[in-house]
Amino acid sequence: MGNTRPVAEEQTAHEARIPPGAEGFYRPGVAFDEMYAPDGEVRNHYGLMHERLITLSAEDLAARQSTLERSFLLQGITFTVYGAEATTERIIPTDLIPRIIPSNEWDRVEAGLVQRLRALNMFLADIYGEQKVLMDGVLPRELVLGAPSYRREMQHLYVPHKAYANVCGSDLIRQEDAQFAVLEDNLRVPSGVSYMLANRDAARRTFPGSFRAASVRPVERYPDLLLATLKSMAEEWRPDPQVVVLTPGVYNSAYYEHAYLARLMGVPLVEGRDLVIHENMVYMRMTTGLQRVDVIYRRVDDDYIDPLTFRRNSSLGVGGLFNAYRAGNVMICNAPGTGVADDKAVYAYVPDIIRYYLGEDAILPNIETYLCREPAQLDHVLANLDKLVVKAVGASGGYGMLVGPHASRKEREDFAAALKADPANYIAQPTIQLSTAPCLIDGKVETRHVDLRPFILSGEKIVVTPGALTRVALRKGSLVVNSSQGGGSKDTWILAADTETRPEQESVTA
Amino acid sequence: MMLARVADSLYWVGRYVERAEHVSRLADVMLNATLDRSNAANQTARIALGALGDTVTASEQNLYDAARVLALDLEDSNSVRVTVAMARENARQVRDQITTEMWERLNMLYLRVTGESAGRTFDRGSSAFLHEVIADLHLFKGAADSTMSHGEGWRFLVLGMYIERAQLVARLLKAAFGEGGLGGNDHVTLMNVLRMGCALEPYLRTYTAEIEPRHILDFLLFGEDFPRSIRFSTARIEEHMAEIASHVAFAGRARPERLAGRLKARLEFTDLEELESTGAGALLTSVMGDCTRIHEAIYQTFVAYPLEMRLPA
Repeated sequence: MGNTRPVAEEQTAHEARIPPGAEGFYRPGVAFDEMYAPDGEVRNHYGLMHERLITLSAEDLAARQSTLERSFLLQGITFTVYGAEATTERIIPTDLIPRIIPSNEWDRVEAGLVQRLRALNMFLADIYGEQKVLMDGVLPRELVLGAPSYRREMQHLYVPHKAYANVCGSDLIRQEDAQFAVLEDNLRVPSGVSYMLANRDAARRTFPGSFRAASVRPVERYPDLLLATLKSMAEEWRPDPQVVVLTPGVYNSAYYEHAYLARLMGVPLVEGRDLVIHENMVYMRMTTGLQRVDVIYRRVDDDYIDPLTFRRNSSLGVGGLFNAYRAGNVMICNAPGTGVADDKAVYAYVPDIIRYYLGEDAILPNIETYLCREPAQLDHVLANLDKLVVKAVGASGGYGMLVGPHASRKEREDFAAALKADPANYIAQPTIQLSTAPCLIDGKVETRHVDLRPFILSGEKIVVTPGALTRVALRKGSLVVNSSQGGGSKDTWILAADTETRPEQESVTA
Repeated sequence: MMLARVADSLYWVGRYVERAEHVSRLADVMLNATLDRSNAANQTARIALGALGDTVTASEQNLYDAARVLALDLEDSNSVRVTVAMARENARQVRDQITTEMWERLNMLYLRVTGESAGRTFDRGSSAFLHEVIADLHLFKGAADSTMSHGEGWRFLVLGMYIERAQLVARLLKAAFGEGGLGGNDHVTLMNVLRMGCALEPYLRTYTAEIEPRHILDFLLFGEDFPRSIRFSTARIEEHMAEIASHVAFAGRARPERLAGRLKARLEFTDLEELESTGAGALLTSVMGDCTRIHEAIYQTFVAYPLEMRLPA
């Protein structure tokens, strides 16, 4: 190691280690805490980071936080708030203290995600094909075929490698027993990967010394792995397939991400109005004429991609796109109709689905789920509304959701009425204590609830990027991490194997 | 080869960036002129506002307010605040096509001129505010020149800049010398006209401190090497237009290229004597008209072309 250590961060790193527990930032609560064991000991993989945090004053932390926010603002990682006098740009709240996951825990998460996505892709190929899983009664026929996200138009269409969900972002939570479990799968158009990359970029600059000492596995290959995945979906006889990213446009809240991925993959970012369908081929309008498109990584929901096939009053997609897809002249990624596999009611059957197709037990467990469509389970849910989280099957983003223990009596009564009116539309889960992690709140290190969204790519093969978006519920005690409901995010460090017990002196200037 | 919509947005980034710079400079020169107790202030303001198509007679209004409107007004489609916001909006739509260096520079400028404290910063030091805007725009152009591939997209950006520049300078000269002929402006006003064209120092090096209207016209219209002269701009328009048009496969020479070639030739082969006999106004009007026609032809040829012409056989 040379003597070219960056930034002043290292200067104080060799100060005496403060006895863990004695001067912790906070006491861990009931929930599993990522940094402190229940007795207040600092967990091994957080050792270096804790040591570093202790040495930083409140001013240091605040200064680093404002540098971080400034860099997000400059990069345009923002959403727009339209006001009367002027429109202002807000950054998506981001926290500077990374969340750290040791390699042995990650290995299990990775294996579990690969297993899950393999099974879900097989499930999708089956329900849009022979429907054996329904004939064998693994899950109720009407639950699948009656779901609004089931696309009859997809039946008997060929999908290369049976890879329906090319990009998947599953939401994991850590339960009180320290095990990761899957809260929900996102197989439609999952977003957030740009925050994973932007947070990493920021964390490297905020904690350069700690970052290097920790041997964090890199996430920077995501864009080229995504491109390879998309290209692997194209017909083999198209030697150099033209990939594009389809965005709803600049007013979409995830526009930054669409532009970011297109830029890092080096492919055009198109809108519906840039595309032309002619004789079941897809072209884009270039300055010099039309150019053929082979693979569309669409960031537009099923409903809006083709007004001729799906929702008629949509102008975000392009008429005739689905026919071109059916004719095999273009690939749409993710395939239309993948949403049925992340339906909140189908979710309850995923462990059975894994067992059915792979003959294995699920590596990552589900959260216990009550289906309100079953009368007995509905009764249980109604009787225990104050203990459960109830979710509408079709909704996402934290909408249409009741968190029983935190709701008022009035809210619970209203929800009970809605439940009775349309039970099939709801599921319920026990209130799970998401794990907590240290976050910088108003200049102090406090604890907040977090979840974990890793990103899985599936084309010719399935790849999990060793990193994730950790979403943070910024309100104290809140369990809702969605960005539309006041959630933020932070970087997630997946440590490389054999480095968890790195000797202390290595972090000191040589 | 690039997306038609992207080419269009890049072209508009170029136009708006150029306009924002020009308006900032006009506002700055106008404010500076008010510091002197002479009637040059009113004449300068008349020219500056006239060059922006503003018909209000300057003597009746407070020039500081006029400059503040030029800088910060939300309603005025030519104000610095609106044009920077438009440039940034267009850049955002093609964020994947421009470099991070360009984006961050433009975004930073946008955040500053549209932020809540913009009005206060302007009131505290209008000249410093406008200077910083101009400096940031120069940095943006520098970043574009030195970090973006000089391919088709860059050419559309630069094309927008030069078309806008040719029109703005033509309008400035018309406001200064179009109606009242070449006389009528005092020495200070003439210096201010040069300042508004960002041409004072280069002019002095060519013609020394003898400031004469015909030399100003000669310099800003026919100057071969000065980057803000109309001749220089039209030469660049022709150059980039020819390069872009050479990629269009369909038969015959593309119209915008022909128009650009004609305009360039006109500027190359007209001289001052000829101009003095006919008056500058006519030539300037036709330059502005030609630029408008080139602008429309670009849109029809590269962006909103009829699909039937380009469908694969």
